Amino acid sequence: MTEKVFDEYYEKSLMQGGTTCCPGCGGPLFWRMALQALGPKTVIYGDGPCAMCAIRSIKLPHFNLHFSFVADASSGMAAAYRAKGIEGLTLVSSAGDGATGDISFGKVSAAAERNENMLQICVDNEAYMNTGIQKSGLTPFGAWTTTTPLGKEAVKKEIPLIIAQHNVPYVATASVAYPRDLIAKIEKAKDIEGFKYIHTVMPCPTGWRFNPAKSVEVVRLGVETWTWPLYEIEGGVLKLNMKPKQKPIEDYLKTQNRFRHLTEDQIKYVQENINAKRERLLANDGKRVIL
Amino acid sequence: MSFTRMMEGNEAAAYGAMVSRADVVPAYPITPQTELISHIATLISEGKMKAEYIKVEGEHTAMAAACGASAAGARVFTATASQGMAYMEEALWMPPGMRLPIVMCMVNRAMAPLGGLRPDHNDALMQRDNGWIQLYCENSQEVLDTVIMAYKIAEDKDIYLPVAPCYDGYFVSATATVTTVPDQAEVDAFLPPYKHEMYSLLPWDYKRPARSANAAQSRYEVQTAHEKAKEVIEEVDKEFGKRFGRSYDGLLEEYACDDVDAVLMTMGSMTGTVRDKIDEMQAEGKRIGLIKLRGFRPFPSEELREMAKKYHAIAVVDRNNSYGSAGGGVVSMEAARALYTLDDRPLLLNFHVGLNGSDVTLRQVEYMADKTLEAVSKGKVDEVVDWVELHDLGEVL
Repeated sequence: MTEKVFDEYYEKSLMQGGTTCCPGCGGPLFWRMALQALGPKTVIYGDGPCAMCAIRSIKLPHFNLHFSFVADASSGMAAAYRAKGIEGLTLVSSAGDGATGDISFGKVSAAAERNENMLQICVDNEAYMNTGIQKSGLTPFGAWTTTTPLGKEAVKKEIPLIIAQHNVPYVATASVAYPRDLIAKIEKAKDIEGFKYIHTVMPCPTGWRFNPAKSVEVVRLGVETWTWPLYEIEGGVLKLNMKPKQKPIEDYLKTQNRFRHLTEDQIKYVQENINAKRERLLANDGKRVIL
Repeated sequence: MSFTRMMEGNEAAAYGAMVSRADVVPAYPITPQTELISHIATLISEGKMKAEYIKVEGEHTAMAAACGASAAGARVFTATASQGMAYMEEALWMPPGMRLPIVMCMVNRAMAPLGGLRPDHNDALMQRDNGWIQLYCENSQEVLDTVIMAYKIAEDKDIYLPVAPCYDGYFVSATATVTTVPDQAEVDAFLPPYKHEMYSLLPWDYKRPARSANAAQSRYEVQTAHEKAKEVIEEVDKEFGKRFGRSYDGLLEEYACDDVDAVLMTMGSMTGTVRDKIDEMQAEGKRIGLIKLRGFRPFPSEELREMAKKYHAIAVVDRNNSYGSAGGGVVSMEAARALYTLDDRPLLLNFHVGLNGSDVTLRQVEYMADKTLEAVSKGKVDEVVDWVELHDLGEVL
């Protein structure tokens, strides 16, 4: 019976069963949700590492180069479709956090500036996980990685807000813990012409050090503690999609062994940062946040 | 309609891309390539050229966008030089392995820090191993014709490799010579629309080339395509000649080589100067000729071996250098490998000249020719690698 259910599901699904992702990876979960919104007239461009583990299992055209190539070959693909008069396609360009925020940061910025007609997705697992858990610019303060054995010294780069300052039509954050919100955002982005950017958290049991069964719980706590606020910036106006009652940051940090060495003072520092961010987000909710 | 006028190499390349009906041009400016891409921008803005010009933020992105566009069904043109080519390096390995027939002009310029804005060949020659076909051009007309031929070669289904028409910055890129832009209908008849048999990135017709699990097998296929390209380059050149009345002897041209003892082998813009001097020296009874190397990749080993049987000495004139090499410049090392298997090998000399865009003068050509003929008469080479510019040849430069 179970087999039949799975067979029927995978027959209809745009994603085949079985991926090379780690157990508990948010990747396949994210793509199954995203593909519901994207539909079959979609072409996907992906960077190399973790992101491709899931993308290779998608039953749609995909093209990929290495992770130093974000939003660039997809700019060429968009131009080719325009030149050849091909319409009605959704072009998705996907990359991890290190690719988007570090090595290809300039490329994402340039594609945003050119307002390339693509949906750029950042699948953010907060470190270089495919190479074996090395710190990226999007690793949060205090997190253990193999290159920050004492915890990361600096805070995480706020990529979605930086991209928003390029005056692109649509920017949003998303989480696999909130499928309806995520799917609605992708559906909206799909219908907008120009550069759309969705930044989604990607729970990573391997790199964050937690039980793979708890992926959704962990990232849900991310939203509930305001570590990962869900918002969108459309036409320059910020909208908070969820304003949960704030849980203490310890609830989130204690789920992951990458944070287990944090001192009380450090936890306090993280909490203060989040409080300040939450206040600013609330103060600007419904307001134009682009200069 | 075809038209003829004075034209710089960069403008000729832009017209080449236009009449080849390039669909997508991702490009980033770098001296001395800049006029090329601004000519293209002008042609597009005037409605003469129908192409999507992606004004990218760097050369690495230019080549990545070229790959995406080429795989997605567009004919792609781009251009770069020197530091930009080095910055592009990672991306330059993609099109050969992915079998994408991109055409990119390499407007040769020296590399920093021991070079400035002026031309030598070290930028393109450092792309020696990555699978690009490289064809060196001497003047604007050859640049324009080579761009058109480059697409025909690149898009041949037995080849599917990227092609780089290479030409010297300033000496070719910014020097106006009489150039004919061929009639669009004639070019259309010569160059059919782009259709890649291995690729389609459309949901209703998706295909990508299968890669062998054996990496050596995949690489061998690229190598085989290079071997095959030697024939295709010759054929395309002949076909071009029949239709347009101009051809370039494929990969190697022998100039004034009847009844000579030795030859100088050149690449790029210096060839014109050498032609003049050779004519003059032959009139004086000196038995020296010229081989112009047009195709550096694929390297025409068999053809060179066949030619070499006629000469007692070959002097390779390298507008490049390779620090700590087995001996001399990049082209001379290639020539040495090609000639090694001959039972009766000619003497092989190597001259470094014109580095960082210094002029290759008539006096220097005479010096190199005399040295080569001297080696022939002595039956041996005194100085295998000679840095010509370090000698005082009694001229004020």
